[in-house]
Amino acid sequence: MRDAYNLELDNLRAQLGDMVQLVAEAMELATRSLLHQDLETAEQVISDDVKVDDARSAAEEKAYGLLALQAPVATDLRIVVASLHAAESIERMGDLALHVAKAARRRHPEPVLPPDVRPAFERLGDVDVRLARKLERVVRGDDAEAAKSLEDDDDEVDEIHRNLFTVIMDRDWQHGVSPAVDLTLLSRFYERYADHAVSVARRMLFVVTGRMPNHSASDV
Amino acid sequence: MAKRIEVKDLDIYYDKFLAVQGVSMTIQPRSVTALIGPSGCGKSTFLRTLNRMHELVPNARVEGSVVMDDDDLYGPNVDPVNVRRQIGMVFQRANPFPTMSIYDNVAAGLKLNNKRLKKSDMDDLVERSLKSANLWEEVKDRLHKPGSGLSGGQQQRLCIARAIAVQPEVLLMDEPCSALDPISTQAIEDLMLELKANYTIVIVTHNMQQAARVSDTTGFFNLQGVGKPGELVEIDETTRIFSTPSQKATEDYISGRFG
Repeated sequence: MRDAYNLELDNLRAQLGDMVQLVAEAMELATRSLLHQDLETAEQVISDDVKVDDARSAAEEKAYGLLALQAPVATDLRIVVASLHAAESIERMGDLALHVAKAARRRHPEPVLPPDVRPAFERLGDVDVRLARKLERVVRGDDAEAAKSLEDDDDEVDEIHRNLFTVIMDRDWQHGVSPAVDLTLLSRFYERYADHAVSVARRMLFVVTGRMPNHSASDV
Repeated sequence: MAKRIEVKDLDIYYDKFLAVQGVSMTIQPRSVTALIGPSGCGKSTFLRTLNRMHELVPNARVEGSVVMDDDDLYGPNVDPVNVRRQIGMVFQRANPFPTMSIYDNVAAGLKLNNKRLKKSDMDDLVERSLKSANLWEEVKDRLHKPGSGLSGGQQQRLCIARAIAVQPEVLLMDEPCSALDPISTQAIEDLMLELKANYTIVIVTHNMQQAARVSDTTGFFNLQGVGKPGELVEIDETTRIFSTPSQKATEDYISGRFG
């Protein structure tokens, strides 16, 4: 029954999955451009961001159509409502990757990162991309368990973010104000990226369990 | 006015055939309870047992109990006519008495109950009932024209006015809007929301969006298979039934995934 409708719901999930895939790649490439002063890769991330924006519009249009025409209830309704929220968060993840790429482009051909903080950003990039890959499986409905382990990954990102502050605030910091500002912002971009991923994962758990995600803990 | 109905382990039989099995529910006063479910699941049959209307079918009987506040509706000395006086009913097809005027249609219940009222009191009561049914403004200048001359939606509201003229405790409605257009449906739904301030309302509907719009509590009836008895699968707050029902059968039905 309602085959066309079920197909539309599946398509909506698939669209979101594709979006997450895009922003995972974007963050992977943005990090590479940051670590290696790779202007070409940075440019690619910047120009590809429009794909994420378009995907978001398409997902919203589909969700709107389902609400208008099919009057979804129960699990179906949760999928549609969660998707509307998720599409926005995923688009933000894309924007954050874009910001990283723009920072790399702005300083080119100089490196943005002083050598002593490079390892921290390598890890930030790794964990964020890992988070996004897991999120893709959660969104596609392949791995609900991964939603829970996302929170641990997010804790790891928060920890690196905090440590970087300690480094920048240290009296031995010798790279001046401008790099300090860059690092603070960049680290924040990675940290927000992970937060958005966790928030989307919680929305997807809500689809399954019907329990509203805990708002107070979702945005730190 | 407005009483609580407590149904416990109700089995409904037509002769030897068990039509509905094991229904237990509490129907709260001053609220709208909607009953949904596929055709043949026994929801209308169940509704009729709440005012013993099903007894009009020969050999129909029930086991279990239906208690309104403290009165057992199936007690040994209970007159079914008296039950129906307290628990009114509105049907799928509007059924005004065709030869009677609008006025007489509303007054009929009282006349049949041998209430002797002064003309002015009767006029008041007819006016009040028609106003409660949101029909007064449309018919006040033609009260003595036949009720059958009204539109379908107006006829249904006339039937509601007739049902509430005898001041029942409970109003049962069996698919009251299924023969009406969306505007008349809207009028009846608005009316239900107004009437629930004073009455206990139970409505059977095939329109799930209607159940979602008007009811506080929704019960889902289903049957296991052909020839098996209908049963109450789940009853809960309406928001819960339409957002996170606890039974898969309920979710499948409200999401349109059946069969």
